[in-house]
Amino acid sequence: SRVFCAMRKDHYTQKPDNKGSGHLHVKFTFIILFGCLLQIYAKGLSQTVTLSENKASLESVFKKIKKQTGYGFVYTNYVLQKANPVTVHISNASIEETMELCLKDQPLTYSITNKMISISEKKPSVEAPLKTMELATTITAPPIAIAGKVVDENGAAVQGASVVVKGTTIGVSTNEVGEFKVNVPDNKAILVISSVSFETLEVPVGNQTVLRIPMRKSQEKIEEVVVVGYGTQRKVSVTGGVDVVKTQALQGRPNVNVTQALQGTAPSLIVQQKSFEPGQGANINIRGVGTLGNNDPLVVIDGIIGGDLNLLNPNDIESISILKDAGTAAIYGSRSANGVILVTTKKGSKSDKGTVTYNGIVSAVHPHIWPKAVPGYENMILKNEAIINANTGQVPTYTPAEIQAQKDRGDYEWFLDEILKDAIQQNHNLSISGGKDKSTYMISAGYMDQQSNFVGPKKGLRRYNFRMNLSNEVGKLKFTTILAYTHTDINDHSFNTGTLIVDAERTPKYYQQKDSLGRYLTNDVLTEFNPLGILEKGGYRQYDNDNIFGSINADLEIFKGLHLKGIFGANLTMNHQYYKTDYVPFYPKGQYGNIAGSSTGDANDKNLYTNPQLLLEYSKSLGQHRITAMAGVTNESYTGKSNKVGYKYASPDLGLQIDTTKASLDMNSLATTPQTTTENSLNSFIGRLSYSFADKYFAEFNFREDGSSKFAKDHRWGFFPSISGAWRLGMEDFYAASDIKNYINDVKIRASYGSLGNQNVSNYQWQTTYFTFANAYGFNNNVVTGAGFNTANPDLRWEVAQTFNIGADLTFFKGKLTGSFDYFHKLTKDILMRPPLPGTFGGGQVDFNVASVKNRGWEVSLNYNTSGRIFRHSINFNIGDTHNEIVKMADGKPQINGLEELQVIYAEGLPIASYVGYKRDGYFQNLNDIKNKPKFSGLDVVPGDISYKDKNGDGVIDDQDRFVLGNPFPRYTFGFNYTLGWKGFDLGIFIQGVGKRDFAIRGELVEPFHVNYSYVMFEHQLDYWRPDNINAKYPRLAVGGSASNTNNYRKGSDLYIFDGAYARLKNVQLGYSLPSNVARKIGMQKCRAYLTGQNLLTVTKNSFIDPESTEFDNKLNAGNGANSGRLYPTSVYYGFGLDLIF
Amino acid sequence: CKKLDLAPTNNYTDLNYWTSADKANLVLNTDYNQMTDVTNVFYNEALSDNAYNGRGDAQGVNSISAGIYDPALGRLKSEWGYHYQGIKTTNVLLENIDLVPNMDAALKARMIAEARFLRAFHYFQLATWFGDVPYFTKNISIEESRTIARTPRAEVIANVLKELDEIETVLPVNKQYTSKDVGRISKGAVIALKARIQLYESNWAAVVTECEKLISKTDNGTYGLFPSYEGLFLPQNKNSVETILGRGFVPLDVTHGEFIDFVPLSIGGRVNAMAPTQELVDDYLMANGKTIREAGSGYDESNPYVNRDPRLGLTIVYDNYAWKKPDGTTATIKIKPGSNTLDEYKSGTSSSPTGYYIRKYYDPTSGSTFASGNDVMLIRYADVLLMYAEAKNELGQMTGSIWGTTVGAVRQRAGFTGAALNFNAAWSKTDMQNIIRRERRAEFAMEGLRIFDIRRWKIAQTVLNGTVHGAKFGDSGVDNGYIIAGKRSFDPTKHYLWPVPRDERGLNPNLSQNPGWN
Repeated sequence: SRVFCAMRKDHYTQKPDNKGSGHLHVKFTFIILFGCLLQIYAKGLSQTVTLSENKASLESVFKKIKKQTGYGFVYTNYVLQKANPVTVHISNASIEETMELCLKDQPLTYSITNKMISISEKKPSVEAPLKTMELATTITAPPIAIAGKVVDENGAAVQGASVVVKGTTIGVSTNEVGEFKVNVPDNKAILVISSVSFETLEVPVGNQTVLRIPMRKSQEKIEEVVVVGYGTQRKVSVTGGVDVVKTQALQGRPNVNVTQALQGTAPSLIVQQKSFEPGQGANINIRGVGTLGNNDPLVVIDGIIGGDLNLLNPNDIESISILKDAGTAAIYGSRSANGVILVTTKKGSKSDKGTVTYNGIVSAVHPHIWPKAVPGYENMILKNEAIINANTGQVPTYTPAEIQAQKDRGDYEWFLDEILKDAIQQNHNLSISGGKDKSTYMISAGYMDQQSNFVGPKKGLRRYNFRMNLSNEVGKLKFTTILAYTHTDINDHSFNTGTLIVDAERTPKYYQQKDSLGRYLTNDVLTEFNPLGILEKGGYRQYDNDNIFGSINADLEIFKGLHLKGIFGANLTMNHQYYKTDYVPFYPKGQYGNIAGSSTGDANDKNLYTNPQLLLEYSKSLGQHRITAMAGVTNESYTGKSNKVGYKYASPDLGLQIDTTKASLDMNSLATTPQTTTENSLNSFIGRLSYSFADKYFAEFNFREDGSSKFAKDHRWGFFPSISGAWRLGMEDFYAASDIKNYINDVKIRASYGSLGNQNVSNYQWQTTYFTFANAYGFNNNVVTGAGFNTANPDLRWEVAQTFNIGADLTFFKGKLTGSFDYFHKLTKDILMRPPLPGTFGGGQVDFNVASVKNRGWEVSLNYNTSGRIFRHSINFNIGDTHNEIVKMADGKPQINGLEELQVIYAEGLPIASYVGYKRDGYFQNLNDIKNKPKFSGLDVVPGDISYKDKNGDGVIDDQDRFVLGNPFPRYTFGFNYTLGWKGFDLGIFIQGVGKRDFAIRGELVEPFHVNYSYVMFEHQLDYWRPDNINAKYPRLAVGGSASNTNNYRKGSDLYIFDGAYARLKNVQLGYSLPSNVARKIGMQKCRAYLTGQNLLTVTKNSFIDPESTEFDNKLNAGNGANSGRLYPTSVYYGFGLDLIF
Repeated sequence: CKKLDLAPTNNYTDLNYWTSADKANLVLNTDYNQMTDVTNVFYNEALSDNAYNGRGDAQGVNSISAGIYDPALGRLKSEWGYHYQGIKTTNVLLENIDLVPNMDAALKARMIAEARFLRAFHYFQLATWFGDVPYFTKNISIEESRTIARTPRAEVIANVLKELDEIETVLPVNKQYTSKDVGRISKGAVIALKARIQLYESNWAAVVTECEKLISKTDNGTYGLFPSYEGLFLPQNKNSVETILGRGFVPLDVTHGEFIDFVPLSIGGRVNAMAPTQELVDDYLMANGKTIREAGSGYDESNPYVNRDPRLGLTIVYDNYAWKKPDGTTATIKIKPGSNTLDEYKSGTSSSPTGYYIRKYYDPTSGSTFASGNDVMLIRYADVLLMYAEAKNELGQMTGSIWGTTVGAVRQRAGFTGAALNFNAAWSKTDMQNIIRRERRAEFAMEGLRIFDIRRWKIAQTVLNGTVHGAKFGDSGVDNGYIIAGKRSFDPTKHYLWPVPRDERGLNPNLSQNPGWN
């Protein structure tokens, strides 16, 4: 034992305790030495032994040990006769060390069970007569000799079981055939038989002298508990749809934040990574999009509403409960229609004497660039072809000589490759946790450094997490105190990532980005600036953000079963941004920034969220009846304030306004507190009543009444009740008696119905508001301010989702396989949405309660665990599907609105935001087709142009021929997790994907030379129509502005709808853990090292775009139109990690 | 805990907004802000035969001029929505201004009149593009906007004229405004707009009536020709004697930035998004007043830019042009292929597709970003003079004296001398019509007016069909060596009116469609 922490742990054993309680009566303080060492001072009985004996009898040594430690000894006189005198000099040694030394040269061995040390011969003989010898302190009465055998359920001997006479220290342990002999004081004696992994048994001796004692394997006695709204529930009694994601599912993956980590862990939990850029979040959605507005689920961290998943340290998480249906979510009332994610962070455990955990991953992050540009000379030929095909009389751009010269010279590095490089990502986490009888602690520190793949000065995200979770008991009062601090530093470039990517992507390989003189070059595509110059010299945006999350939870037990809880939670976010945009000259022309000086500015914002709660809980068991009731009041208040200031013409080096005559305030970048303050408030009454009988029948009622400042007085309050019930069929006697029980060991059926609300709309919308804006107009060079207005909707009211859920939980093959099945039906009424408004209205968008939407879906989750002699397998598979349909538009009329090439429709009978456009029907292959097939009026088509389906058969293609082409919602989302264990090795494979999706893509990735903005052809576009390739994927080439281009690319057809199904090998891990005895020798409980890889392989039908990217915006608003794929590239990780527990 | 009755602190509400004239005035400022989209004003030139949009589809002008657009074109929707946005601002102001306590009656009357003018201006533009459009003068609800039908074009125009008649007497003349208010709608602007509306209706007598209110008298405002044609478009001369209606800007704070895509690339242009055509260049007179094809014009095709209308060189940049730089020096703009400059013509690249660039309205103070604080004139006095000349000629009342005060004066100010200024009594009405039309084209080139003239003269099917030409840098075997920059197409059976935007009809099924569109 060379590692101090570990040695302390060994020494920190328990004293014998007649009450059988596992509580420790030790007080401790702790200090942190060199960040990892935990020192514990124990008072009272020592857990260590100090001896100085010369040739003493073994028996006397045992007495001394007993006196110092309280450990009892069990041995026979016969055994002790074989003992030699003992010479031993030890100080502060552990029991084990002491025993090793004492028995070093003896023919004896020892074992420790329940503070009882049994001494036996090294080569024991069952024939030998057994006699029990009592120790000095035990009673001396006429004993009754009892002989017995301890067996398990199958009759096999249980060896080493402890047999103790209750109320005394008389005890023996069973030998290798399970037999024991013991003398008991009288026939009233009771034998307590205990053994690891068996249920402890008490056997009255009575008149028997020979006993055969069968023991039962112990069941998991600690009941699994699930975190639900405002409390926890025993897992068996959960009546609603809850998925619990255990912390193991998040481990070993180089995830930047919790949202990323949740991907694929639960059915119908859809996580879409919009961008892999450091600092960018992911979209998270539960059971599809039920509303037309903000679809973010409600996030509740440690009971406090409104935290940010992306600021949490993934390593701090104990469990995540995902509440999906009314039965579980209605307690969150107006906030819960999109589902609820309950995060519980780790707490210390009273029985943990102190654990130090380190987790770390270091990964290389490789940018995966999806599209591939054709070689430069080929690009020239194709561009010429597109110009000639346009048939406008324009001459081709490149002469044959120029093309040949390019071919001879070869390509420059493609700009997109040139601005991206490999980067490093690191996550390190250290935590210390433990506890004793009245208190527990968990303290952690995390560090995450995610470098950007962009070239230039160091960019990326660094996050520092600190957390302290403490619990203390003072009499009947129990406090839980949580304090978490997160600091995030983000270094970003000064421009717009989408533009940098698309600029680089659209430039052919015959242009160079930087010349040998180090000048940044502009060209015919990028005429003002290039991305490399901006990334390397153009300045930056720096964010340093602080978040403090704290809560105090006081629980007073008024009398047994009645608890009063007061909770105060606050989430304070303080963000600061400083930007500096520097001048970068380009050659032969163009510039970035301003030659007169840099633009600099600061922006600060401060948001305070408070959430006080007062809850009264009562629980009571009467026989097999269990009742729990809870009622409470809560408030949520939010205040956001910000300010900003900006300067133009600052010095480029320090950003100072040196030349005060030149430096000037940027009037467009100023804001003070009154202009930026926003507030909202929500008052709520909540309640829950649940009843169960015999753990077979369960019923629950939940409600919440919410009043929100977001609605006018008359529409302010909403009542959201739910009922749910479950039946544990598997516990019924008739089921237990049936044969099915052998295959399906347990069955629970559950159902719930209730209403959930949604108030995800902006503040103050029920009142018309007027805002001012600077620089509205100039009268004779005098600048004036303008005022605008936001139209009110005083009728704005709650959106309500009526949700029905039915599900079953099944256990097969003696617990090896468990499965959950759910079906749900959700009808969302008065959906809040910003409907497209006619231009004639003349005003900006307003939220309205516009429609009713039906969501139906199902989920399956399967878990299989088996441990064979050699291999351990664990398989988890989940899949879910959701399908939505608008059942009613408020005014009965469909709303159709154009978005880029396609149109989006909201109409009864169709999914939300369905795409509308033309359907392709091959190509015009020849003049005959052109003469006979229907066309758009006014467009002269040629062979190779797309021919469209004439829906109404009137011979022309027009608006009447549009079809519904699909919708952006992913279906059949699935996750598959397989782990394989073999000795110390473990292999984990995690696959995640989407089974069906209409993926709307537009822009240069679809259309060659997109509206003449792009100059690049990509390899995937080469399958275009030519006379020798008449069944091509894409139509003939023709630049923008031509009739062909208009017919093929401007008309909005299913050309823009792609198959978005995919499967991604999200994570692979190969780990090795040292055997525990080896680990112990180097002072650890656990030592695991692993290799991990993320996003290694993707199976998709579209080679040119990440299938995980999405048309949804970051609020999951549908109807944003197609995805242009102008994205920071997908990150592929190759990492090495360590998990150490001391 | 907060209360649930939260009033915004960052915004006003109905309860506390309409409390002062100053706050009401902020809404009027917004109305001015929404008066006209100058980006459209500039790019509209490429809807006509004066210019060509060769890269991208700025403001939809490429699609429209190629005749390959349909009701889904974004420009249609944005044009429609833009005007109704301005109309709403006027309606909100008019519905609430009475709530302002103790407001000065004269100020209130003036503000109402200004707002009504701006609303009328929007309806006029809407009716010009789309024909029949929904007409209303109150703040309509969303429900109404989903059901309102189109009002016949003639009725819209009649309403607009009636509105203008009513406010004409309320508004002050331009000289009555104090310096900080110069640029507000004046009586003269009302009259000039009426003249333009009547012109577009070919109501010649009414044009004459309105123009005569402004020519050679000062009761309705003091106007004249600014002495320098070049100076007229420079920021230091904004709100000159010639401005009747303008869109106001202020350097650095309220700017417009179209010229970054108009000027030669060597001057700092980003790309060329709009370039003058050979057809426009050819229509400029010779300095002697003759057209280039006329006998004795002295036109030399190999040296085409000499001895021309002085306005040519102040409007259009051609090969070997001496570009006057802000510091007073000049840069020679080389466009001819082989000159190996950024401005060199090369098909399919970001340089000019016609071999010409734009100079007129270039703001030398706008710096490298080309964000200009110069005002954009929407109606200027020269227009009143040429409207008057045209109306008089159409009425058969053209005389040497009228010629002298109109076309002659305009030409003189442009820098013509001698014969070009003379009236020829032998000219027929048609000759005079051609002369006036050509004069309008040259005088107002790149000011966004040509497309409206083409449409009211009903000559679109002639001038907006076929090849768009550029300078003589092309294949000598084709079109005599003039660049073929692109093609235009105009179908007179449907293109004289823009279609009602598809989305508008998708959201309001009561909106009918123009003939030939669906």
